[in-house]
Amino acid sequence: MGRKLTPRMLLPLLLTFMIVLSACTSGKGNEGAQPPGPTNTQNQTEGENKPKEEGLYSIEDFSNVKTNEGEPIKGGSITYGLVSDTPFEGILNYNFSSGAPDAAVLGWFDESLLAWDKNYVFTNDGAATYEVSEDGRTFTFTIRDNVNWHDGKPVTAEDWEFAHEVITHKDYDGPRYGSDFTNIEGVLEYREGKADKISGIKVLSDKKLQITYIKSTPSLLTGSIWTYPLAKHIFGDMEIAKMSSSSAVREKPIGFGPFKVESIVPGESVVYTKNADYWRGEPNLDKVVLKVINPTTVVQQLKSGGVDLVDSFPIDQFPDNANMSNVEYLGVIDRAYTYIGFKLGKWDEENKVVAPDPNAKMADVNLRRAMWHAVDNDQVGKRFYHGLRWNATTLIPPSHPEFHDASNPGIAYDVEKANQILDEAGYKKNGEFRTKPDGSELVINFLSMTGGDIAEPLARYYVQSWNAIGLNVNLELVEFNTFYDRIGNNGKDDPNVDVYQGAWTVGIDVDPAGLYGRDALYNFSRYASEENDRLLAEGVSEKAFDVATRKAIYKEWQQFMIEEVPVFPTLYRSEIVPVNKRILNYAIGDGTGIYLYELAVTQDKPFVAE
Amino acid sequence: MDKASRLVEDEVYEPSASPSSWQILWREIKRDKLALASLIFLGIVVAAVYGVSLILDQKQIVTVDLFALYQPPSSKFWLGTDYGGRDVFGQLIIGTRNSLSIGIIVTVLTGVIGILAGLISGYFGGTVDNVAMRVVDFFMILPTLMIVIAFVAAVPKYSVVSFSLIMTAFLWMGIARLIRSKTLQERELEYVKASRTLGSSHLKIMFTQVLPNLSSIIIVTMTLNLAANIGLESGLSFLGFGFPESTPSLGTLVSYARNPQTLEFRWWIWLPASLLILVLMLSINNVGQALKRATDARQRRG
Repeated sequence: MGRKLTPRMLLPLLLTFMIVLSACTSGKGNEGAQPPGPTNTQNQTEGENKPKEEGLYSIEDFSNVKTNEGEPIKGGSITYGLVSDTPFEGILNYNFSSGAPDAAVLGWFDESLLAWDKNYVFTNDGAATYEVSEDGRTFTFTIRDNVNWHDGKPVTAEDWEFAHEVITHKDYDGPRYGSDFTNIEGVLEYREGKADKISGIKVLSDKKLQITYIKSTPSLLTGSIWTYPLAKHIFGDMEIAKMSSSSAVREKPIGFGPFKVESIVPGESVVYTKNADYWRGEPNLDKVVLKVINPTTVVQQLKSGGVDLVDSFPIDQFPDNANMSNVEYLGVIDRAYTYIGFKLGKWDEENKVVAPDPNAKMADVNLRRAMWHAVDNDQVGKRFYHGLRWNATTLIPPSHPEFHDASNPGIAYDVEKANQILDEAGYKKNGEFRTKPDGSELVINFLSMTGGDIAEPLARYYVQSWNAIGLNVNLELVEFNTFYDRIGNNGKDDPNVDVYQGAWTVGIDVDPAGLYGRDALYNFSRYASEENDRLLAEGVSEKAFDVATRKAIYKEWQQFMIEEVPVFPTLYRSEIVPVNKRILNYAIGDGTGIYLYELAVTQDKPFVAE
Repeated sequence: MDKASRLVEDEVYEPSASPSSWQILWREIKRDKLALASLIFLGIVVAAVYGVSLILDQKQIVTVDLFALYQPPSSKFWLGTDYGGRDVFGQLIIGTRNSLSIGIIVTVLTGVIGILAGLISGYFGGTVDNVAMRVVDFFMILPTLMIVIAFVAAVPKYSVVSFSLIMTAFLWMGIARLIRSKTLQERELEYVKASRTLGSSHLKIMFTQVLPNLSSIIIVTMTLNLAANIGLESGLSFLGFGFPESTPSLGTLVSYARNPQTLEFRWWIWLPASLLILVLMLSINNVGQALKRATDARQRRG
């Protein structure tokens, strides 16, 4: 789909097998030269993904847009595979759902009122357009006249206002309420019951809405505006607490996207028919069937034409199936990175801020830097991921091409340097392992996640690398939920964890304050400093509206984090998705200008692998 | 007449005494070519596995090697490498040793506990029997596998020994029941009563008179249990509740086949372990079946 929006939500990323990833550095060795994000250029040759050297691939060789071959037929029906080993949850309304599987279901029949480009900035190409006032705080939106719900009723400014009222209401049980909404004037008064309406939101006419925000920040334009209306003629009479379990969300969901939901088998499959009244134009396809397929059978399903498209593809299955004859692989850099974090403090539950501890085991920056020098992520990417993940350099991934500092080389693999740093910092070798500068024993506890095929050997490789520079590191592998509990997902950090390996999917807004800010619970390393606070604040200040200034601020921040090493990024990732060759007009990633209503097929039946 | 007496001399009178139970067991195995071949094969495997694993360096085998992932079999890696670049042959040997060790330890421990419990409760009967059997009942209704899994998850670091102890705790009841029922029959026999009248102590009767008469059934049960116990460890490791990957196990090797790519394209990782488990189980069962026949005079071939 690629069109699912997680507005500034920073989700702990599941390192599970269902996530398909890939990408590789362009020139081997020069960590700086990252590919400049998704491009719309065509793939070199049709679907032939040739490894560059002994089984290595590069994201640069993948296009994110399907090559169109052949003429579309009228109508047609396709099957879309949701690759997962669990059923989808089935909360089918953007105002209440949060899970990625549900978003894949939603993407076919509902959409955001505002569209955005490949830098994730809102544009005027969507179902609504917007204007910003001089001071950047007041937004006026106009919904296009021909935007209608599936039942024929127009999508109105009142529906949009209603979505805001529901989400900010104290009875609302979904995950969306947060700083995006408290930044709207009058929300707190409304939530406390002091006002009937949100004073910052005004319905100017049937199709015109005005929202006034308290603080103007560049983040507003990159996802901090809530752009999903809620059909007031359906939900208007419902109690807010009961909305998310109502049949209008679970069984007969409504939207204004290119397809309508015809029937749902909960957790298993959804049948969509075309919405002839779609505002961009009548969709080409008659019917779309979505079904959940297990990651272990996805290859067989693709080969036999059982599915035409999938939402994701397990990366470890790619190299063996790179030459599948009936599909074309699309690729895009993922908004995610894997990282290794160092525990530098605790979470202060009372004040909701991080509390750095200068006496923490990992408090010495030299130790942290040496541990970064000791690991060879370039080879990890090449060997474990066939070049489809690659060495990470800074904490802003290249999925944000405007802000990722490609000229920053990060910290390179250099064992001698690592040893030298430790020697100079006073970590002397006592037998096989080093001691702390004061002579006491140094045992570092490393926590990592199970799940995914490569998790175990990868974690073990890191331990070996650190053993090689004389650090005594213990490895503990735990499953996903335990892992995040222990590193502090609920504010209770396990004091026995010193180093951990996690991963983040980052929001479409580049602002990293949600992961590294002083008041961010997700700042699992519990690092804070005044310099960091200053840079993060500047990044969302008014002067950051100037993209060049914002770039300079984040460039400085990326370098600052490399010097401080509270965490270090290990691998950037990308996504690879196979598409049956009969499909036309399809793209993954953001801002491609290709929409689902244009999707078409060249023949009735899917191509089958030879 | 003359001829007949010769025959009798040949077949009955030449062995000086009636054959001991060990001799019967051995004769039965010798008569069954399949069981004999299985026994020899087992001997070779056990000797090879314990012998070779003395030379192998386990730490080196479980070391992740980025540059040797998924190597097919070659002269350097006899059975190729897995997804961490680890030598499959080394893992197979050490895994077999671990699985066998666990199987043997568990069988011996459950045997000892089961025999003691069974003998005592069967021999004394009455209240002792009642109490012991209620304890056995209690253990038998527990969902054994779930508890073993929970234990394994709770114990952070476990070794062959701790793993064996956990399994032993839930596997001794079957043999205890069997021995008890046999002892109940045995204690009614004349020789027990005679021995008691002559003033032998209970302990002496139990262990030097009743127990030897149960030896053949014990040997058979324990042989068949051995196969089951090896399988149990492999099964738990396959499900991910056995040893961590840093301790090689046959079950872990087989579980790699859950990845469709490995199943289809990299047979060397899972096939040898699967075959070995199959052949080991079959062999032990063949021997066990032969022994079982030997304990029942009507089924004997020899």
